[in-house]
Amino acid sequence: MGLVVALVAFLVTILSGTSAGLIKNNISGLIELPATHLAFEYNERPSYRNTMVERYMWEGWQGSPGVKAMEPMGHTVFNARTQRDEPLEIVLWGLRPGSFIEPKVAEGEQLGPMEDGVIISRLLADDGVKIGDTIILDRVLTELKVIGILDEERNIGHMPIIYTPLPKWQEATYGPPGGSPPGEKLPDILFDFVSMLALQLEEGVDVVPLDDAFETATLDREEFYAASTGYTEEVMSVGMIQLFLVIVSAVVIGAFFTIWTIQRTKEIGLVKALGASSWYLMKDALGQALLLMLVSTAVGLGLAIAIGKGLIEGTAFPFMFEGGMVASSMLLLIVAGLIGAAFAIRQINAVDAMIALGREQ
Amino acid sequence: MSLKVSNVSLVLGDGDQRVTALDDVSLEVEPGEMVAVLGPSGAGKTSLLAVCGGLRTPTSGEISIDGTVITRVKPAKLTEIRRDRIGFVFQQSNLVPSLTSLDQLLLLVHLRGKKPNGEDTERATALLEEVGMSARIDRRPGQLSGGERQRVGIARAFMMSPALLLVDEPTSMLDQNRGKQIVELLSKECHEHSVATLMVTHDHNVLASADRVLNISDGRLAEQA
Repeated sequence: MGLVVALVAFLVTILSGTSAGLIKNNISGLIELPATHLAFEYNERPSYRNTMVERYMWEGWQGSPGVKAMEPMGHTVFNARTQRDEPLEIVLWGLRPGSFIEPKVAEGEQLGPMEDGVIISRLLADDGVKIGDTIILDRVLTELKVIGILDEERNIGHMPIIYTPLPKWQEATYGPPGGSPPGEKLPDILFDFVSMLALQLEEGVDVVPLDDAFETATLDREEFYAASTGYTEEVMSVGMIQLFLVIVSAVVIGAFFTIWTIQRTKEIGLVKALGASSWYLMKDALGQALLLMLVSTAVGLGLAIAIGKGLIEGTAFPFMFEGGMVASSMLLLIVAGLIGAAFAIRQINAVDAMIALGREQ
Repeated sequence: MSLKVSNVSLVLGDGDQRVTALDDVSLEVEPGEMVAVLGPSGAGKTSLLAVCGGLRTPTSGEISIDGTVITRVKPAKLTEIRRDRIGFVFQQSNLVPSLTSLDQLLLLVHLRGKKPNGEDTERATALLEEVGMSARIDRRPGQLSGGERQRVGIARAFMMSPALLLVDEPTSMLDQNRGKQIVELLSKECHEHSVATLMVTHDHNVLASADRVLNISDGRLAEQA
């Protein structure tokens, strides 16, 4: 019985690790982005793929009241390959070197003087991309040099992000294939466009008048997570799976307590004949159920954390422990288990103390 | 008078299945008196114990234990009377499998919603000693023989100083010799603790220990000639 609860707790924990991992695998780049809001080009449904913010918009945001910090940033999805011809599907983010949205590298250098330098995330490094490698973007043939590697993965829409100085991003995104012809400069107007603005706003700032003034659509963190492809659907699917798992657990635990009660029918009848009230016995059984649930859940949780941390985390399998999520799943499991147990234990009421006399009457 | 049964009838089942298990039964047992009820199976022995123990409500008639009429009280009150005033010795001793001999007795203290104190433990130990089980107080039922289990069951029955002791076929699982010893022990305890004892049995060999013997047949009770 305890084993069954422990296994269910194990399953719920591993699943919650997998869900958190899946969600992180989708939007880790956004989770780690130190912005309170993102401003997109005005649209009913703003998207990362279809947004273009002009210089006057970001300059407008820059000086507005309630705006602590603002950074223009570029976002483009590219197919690319390394100089060894290994194919990559990446998202190129353009940002101003030294700005608050630039992540800190674990190896190599930050973005800076080298205009075609890029920082890559840990997952690409694990796939064999090294500092000094060249990444060539398909179609536009822009060449980028890997100068820094982050310690963690940074993804958006399940694709790894690589970070480059904003002008290089603008050249790759808006410039002609192969870059500017030798000796010619790209037209200045190319450098007046970005994809979106990373904002740090003071608490309680009303973004509506600012959006109206600068023709932007500003999303808070929850909303800009949801704007990532598939994120909302994934959260919903994972939520459904967890809900069903908890319902199944309640039924399984209820079934086990039913069997447990039936196995103890003789004993319950005896103790009733000795003068125990049904209330006393139910309280006793529910207390035992709670104790059993707590101990078994702890065992399952411990096992799952050990296996998750030891064997799964750090591999390519998307997996992450998120304290709050695990804790709420465990709590939900215990509550569901107790409801299941309570239904089963009601049968104690029906046990006839006559059983103690050994004969049915 | 510790047990008084007046004109009690018990009808079980409905329609064609109706069986008169007890038919106008009257009976009195005094404190310290051991009354044996002898009869074949199906004669109404178990029904008699069930109505006296408050496990079944008779169809008609009245039963009082230590002056309290138990045939006209609510189920919760009946549970309380069973807990506080009645001791049971069952056919198969009926111990809780997971508890030691000592804990079988202390369980009754728990059922009253109390934590056993030193006094309770002393009393339980003394009772187990009286029934010759002092060397086995930390054994579980699985580690005891049938006779030993029955002895623990007897000690348990006296734990809460009952006014009435109901004994159900105490020898059915024992050989003749052990059965006789057990009933002698019961009789000794019943006299020592001054408890009204009603024992049902089909075993003629144990009747010598009883103060009085009644016959039951087809639900009707008669004094043995």
